[in-house]
Amino acid sequence: MAGEALTFRDVTAGYSHRRVLDGVSFAVREGEFVSLIGPNGSGKSTLLKTAAALVKPVAGSVELFGQDVCTLRPSLRASLLGVVPQKLDAPMAFSVAEIVMNGRVGSMGLLGRLSPHDHDLVERAMIYTDVLDLRNRYFGELSGGEQQRVALAMVLAQEPRIIMLDESISHLDINHRNEVLQILLNLNREQQLTIVLVSHDLTLSASVSDRLLLMYEGRLAADGAPHEVLRPDLLGRVYDCELQVRLDPFTGSLQVTGNLEGRKMSGSPAIRTHVVAGGGSGIELYRRLVLEGFGVTTGVLNQLDSDAEAARALSIPAVLEQPFSAVGQEAADKARGMVAEADALIITHVPFGSGNLVNLQIADEALRQGLRVFIARGLEDRDYTEYKAASRLAADMTARGALSWQTMHELIMKLQQQQPT
Amino acid sequence: MVAFLAAVPLLLVLSLLLGPSGIGIPDLQTPSGNAILSLRFSRLLMGLMTGAALSASGVVFQALLRNPLAEPYVLGVSGGAGLGATISILAGASLALPFSLPVIAFVSAVLTLILVYAIASQGTGGQPSVYSLILAGVIVSAICSSIIMFLVSSASVEGLHNVIWWMLGSLQPASSSQQLAASLLVSIGLIGSWVLSRPLNALVLGRDMAHYQGINARLIIVLGLLLATLLAATAVSLSGMIGFVGLIVPHVVRASFGPDHRKLIPLSALGGGVFLVMCDALARTLIAPVEIPVGVVTALAGGPFFLIILQKRMKQAWIS
Repeated sequence: MAGEALTFRDVTAGYSHRRVLDGVSFAVREGEFVSLIGPNGSGKSTLLKTAAALVKPVAGSVELFGQDVCTLRPSLRASLLGVVPQKLDAPMAFSVAEIVMNGRVGSMGLLGRLSPHDHDLVERAMIYTDVLDLRNRYFGELSGGEQQRVALAMVLAQEPRIIMLDESISHLDINHRNEVLQILLNLNREQQLTIVLVSHDLTLSASVSDRLLLMYEGRLAADGAPHEVLRPDLLGRVYDCELQVRLDPFTGSLQVTGNLEGRKMSGSPAIRTHVVAGGGSGIELYRRLVLEGFGVTTGVLNQLDSDAEAARALSIPAVLEQPFSAVGQEAADKARGMVAEADALIITHVPFGSGNLVNLQIADEALRQGLRVFIARGLEDRDYTEYKAASRLAADMTARGALSWQTMHELIMKLQQQQPT
Repeated sequence: MVAFLAAVPLLLVLSLLLGPSGIGIPDLQTPSGNAILSLRFSRLLMGLMTGAALSASGVVFQALLRNPLAEPYVLGVSGGAGLGATISILAGASLALPFSLPVIAFVSAVLTLILVYAIASQGTGGQPSVYSLILAGVIVSAICSSIIMFLVSSASVEGLHNVIWWMLGSLQPASSSQQLAASLLVSIGLIGSWVLSRPLNALVLGRDMAHYQGINARLIIVLGLLLATLLAATAVSLSGMIGFVGLIVPHVVRASFGPDHRKLIPLSALGGGVFLVMCDALARTLIAPVEIPVGVVTALAGGPFFLIILQKRMKQAWIS
């Protein structure tokens, strides 16, 4: 019945040096309340800018009510789609009324005089968002919540049929956030206004939205009702951490919470790991393993390597070789000693060359002695050894039971699942 | 605002009564009295045009860059216009046609602005930040000044007289055809800027926000830059390098009457014009018969006066 308000067809878009959206397709129907969620850098803001023709797609098309947004006249586009920014920044001392008046600027000619109709719309928008009392105050002096209501009033004065909000409410206090949300819900129900909320707050998005769009690395990872999208396995993969989803017993809405208690921060480590890293490939993993309560040793690394610095900072025992030198016999033997103490051996996304191939050979020896070995995927792309010796050895190890991993979350799940017997 | 508007004609008449030949209405029965009045009137027009152009230009630059420091001098526009004007005066081209001096100044100012923009965009892969624009502007401005100095120091005696006369920044009346040409260009600049006032209001909220509200932001920015550059270049070609007006008058008018550009542009133009006329009246009477360059008076007399106003109303001037 209701038509499509916003349609993305296989949209690829980004900036001159960087592609951010990669083949995104979805449609938002008129009157829907949709939330766009996803981790930082997943492309949510770029998607919003693409919808508003601020970023032009490299491939694919974006349509507003069936019209290509890039060919729409600016004023017509503004009457279809309004955007509430994260924070409205008015460096000059504009009054609230003057700010809201800007909502009508697109529909005026260059010699724009406001008609009585324009004044009506401005006043109505201010009444709806409860900022009429503030109209003669300076915008810059208002509280964050009041400023956000003024920004919403300005966008409402545009009379758009879709409103997109870019993280506009997540940073507000809970009372101000609920005020703004209530206004949005009323607009959605009473005036069939289509709303697209870009949000970090999964619980909040679940409670107000008909539908969630989950972005991950520039693609749409999921599109569906909140209970279809908010699945622990999916969220765990996308956010790369352990999350729990449960029903709030009071409101019946979905709640997403992290699992801080589950981490063992002290005491003797249950699982001791030895990490083969180098060139910065281990920094994040060291930190994560220590946080998750694993025992960590590492080596052989070259001195001055950023991983060696990181290990030192985290007090992780490390076997070190001279800077820019191949791993020698003495260091290799020390590393063997460390591996003998470990329950699992992890190979990061480290490149292999003739200098550090011995690290992989140590891992191979450990695998033969029954140690669990985890190799980061794509080793063949990082193999600089002669005759691809590292790749062939890794393939051989995989055939003999070495496990592969890609994201840290996946690795940690696997480490915890297979407790050593 | 009513008080300000009422004061304008009084101040203008007052400036007609002040001059090195004495205070009061000159004897209109004598040819010399007539000449004095017409000379004063001519200077009044020069002051109004130059002051209005400089301060309106400052208003537009400040809105487009969303920065209180923006003005024709800081962005290198005045420097570029000055360099173009110097070359054309030294080459004798300025006297060919009434439009040639302002047009050459405008073209070289636009070229300078493009150069500043290009320098500031280096390595950003797109839009330069306001800070890199201002930094690049200050640098280019300094280079232009050096080249002007070099040209002046190596000029022939004959050309030197003309260019020094112009560079001192005085409101010595130009020829009437040049005044006519300048008044036409200033009118285009003022009316054009005023037509853009609503989009300028929207652009103060940021380029992205203006885009979302249905404005062709790029077009408005380009038009605004061209108009502001036209105003600044015309002022420079008319009266030389007069500082301070383009920066401070917009701030004082904004602090007094609010940032809405529909009011801000005409009021700043009026305020800038009257301010410069008053400064000129002081410049030619303070130590008469010696005339002080008006640029000296704008900062010396205007500075403390405006500082007091801004201190009281700082919050209305610029919240950030």
